[in-house]
Amino acid sequence: MLLEWIEVHNFRNLSGRVSWGNGLNIIYGDNGQGKTNWLEAIYTLATTKSFRTQKLQEAVRFGEDLGVIRGRVARSEEVHRDLQVTLQGNTKTISINGKREAVARYLRQLNTVAFTADELEVVRGGPDARRKFLDRGVVSLHHAYVQTLADYNRVIKQKNRLLQDAADSEMSLDEVERIISPWNEQLIGLSAEIHRGRTDYVERLKDVLERRLFEREDITIRYVSSLEGKGDLGDYEALVAERLKLRLQAELSAGYSLIGPHRDDLEILFDGRDIRAFGSSGQQRSALIILDLAAISVYYSWHNEYPLFLIDDVDAELDRKRIRYLLEYLEGRTQTFITTSKESLVEEFMGRSNVFRVSDGMSEEIGPEMDLIQSAAKGAESI
Amino acid sequence: MLEYAEPVTKLIDEFKRLPGVGNKSAQRLAFHVLRMPEADVERFIEALQEVKRRIIFCSVCNNLTDVDPCRFCSSTNRDRSMICIVEEPYNLVAIEKTRSYRGLYHVLHGSLSPIRGIGPDDLHLTNLLTRFRPENNDGVEVREVILATNPNTEGEATANYISRLIKPLGIRVTRIAMGMPVGSDLEYVDEVTMDKALANRHEI
Repeated sequence: MLLEWIEVHNFRNLSGRVSWGNGLNIIYGDNGQGKTNWLEAIYTLATTKSFRTQKLQEAVRFGEDLGVIRGRVARSEEVHRDLQVTLQGNTKTISINGKREAVARYLRQLNTVAFTADELEVVRGGPDARRKFLDRGVVSLHHAYVQTLADYNRVIKQKNRLLQDAADSEMSLDEVERIISPWNEQLIGLSAEIHRGRTDYVERLKDVLERRLFEREDITIRYVSSLEGKGDLGDYEALVAERLKLRLQAELSAGYSLIGPHRDDLEILFDGRDIRAFGSSGQQRSALIILDLAAISVYYSWHNEYPLFLIDDVDAELDRKRIRYLLEYLEGRTQTFITTSKESLVEEFMGRSNVFRVSDGMSEEIGPEMDLIQSAAKGAESI
Repeated sequence: MLEYAEPVTKLIDEFKRLPGVGNKSAQRLAFHVLRMPEADVERFIEALQEVKRRIIFCSVCNNLTDVDPCRFCSSTNRDRSMICIVEEPYNLVAIEKTRSYRGLYHVLHGSLSPIRGIGPDDLHLTNLLTRFRPENNDGVEVREVILATNPNTEGEATANYISRLIKPLGIRVTRIAMGMPVGSDLEYVDEVTMDKALANRHEI
């Protein structure tokens, strides 16, 4: 898939239209000019969410009521679709080709993998970030998995409340088991679906992992079930059922659910050592890039097209040698969008990329032919 | 100071209590009432009062009714060996519209949801078990219970809970199927439904 152009009104400090190149797009400019805003606009157009804020309304230019992001996606040479995210007051409307569309259908139009400061939690933070990374991946292959996750979270929430209520009352263990069984029964089925989805996805990642893209050191990953060592993971349903039965008293004392894939993790080793505890900041970034590239590869082998790859503030995240490896690897693969404030990077890739200079929210192309992309009238006014 | 005279404000406030009615709708409704002929208003009031006065829960199946037992439970041409369990009276109506189900019903008036404080004791279940005794069912033995609770986690939990109660009695317990809506094209079905339909496929 290809994002041909994007047009933005009153989103952050942005205005105007930018036509992107098929390969590498370098968004270049001084700090505070709106480089990341362009990346955020692309991300928002794709996901209807921002990677910077939970409240998308905050992204509408201050004092304005209506914010619009519009873009054209080429799904094939002849199939083009116009996507639009409209933010007005507290409502968000999404449409395809000018017609309102349900989120589920919209989300499949433009897929992105985004390497941002937030995403570094995958290699630095707690297991939650890693589970989310895996779940995003599974969803990118099987959309129905969204419902599995939603149902699972719902059941956990209901069960946790039940456990708290039961602890406060003077119910016998048999009594608790009787009212908790209907929830555990669903937990078993949903846990198994999640376990299968994630382990299958990790296997796919492993198959395409460029383990030594940057260094001599070796990156390995492994899905770590919280039930590891507790029995036969091959018969996952039976194992979960057994553990739930065995641990009911413990769950009751804890007041929340102790058994299930919400306690699982993805182990990421760098030269055999846990990246989170022992990896340097540079090694952590390398590992995340390698994981993102694997996610992109898996996506490609499943859908036969590449998602967009967004990398925010590439210099802050990677050294020059790694950037070079990475961008060379991506050539001929994804449509890539990177932001940078370093002129030397622009110079190095000038011939092989489209470069956009951002200044005060406006973007103009300074490509090898030095042709100037129109900067919309709206933007000119704001200066 | 109030924006409207007291009686108008009171009426708007009452309308606002209703589900799905916001400020604007409440105002519109109140002004509509102001323009209504006196007789229409009387009829409306009467309908409201009557529904409260005359509608009761059927002592057998808990459905809403004005006669006890309700028309389903007292009917002589329904199949008394089958009971279909639903969450709400309007779910019963949805099944009844098919005209293909000729058995009896049992209305729970809710589904299990700990976060909303609804446990087994809050569902209308106590009078279900007594229905299985033939002497309470015109001498007919109940052979099958159909669980038609909603296809969400709460509905599933409820169905599961009830099946555990009933199965030991040797009664056949079934769950309504989930999958493709009939009469539509495959392409219009969302992935989740399609996924369920594939998982629940059967041999022909």
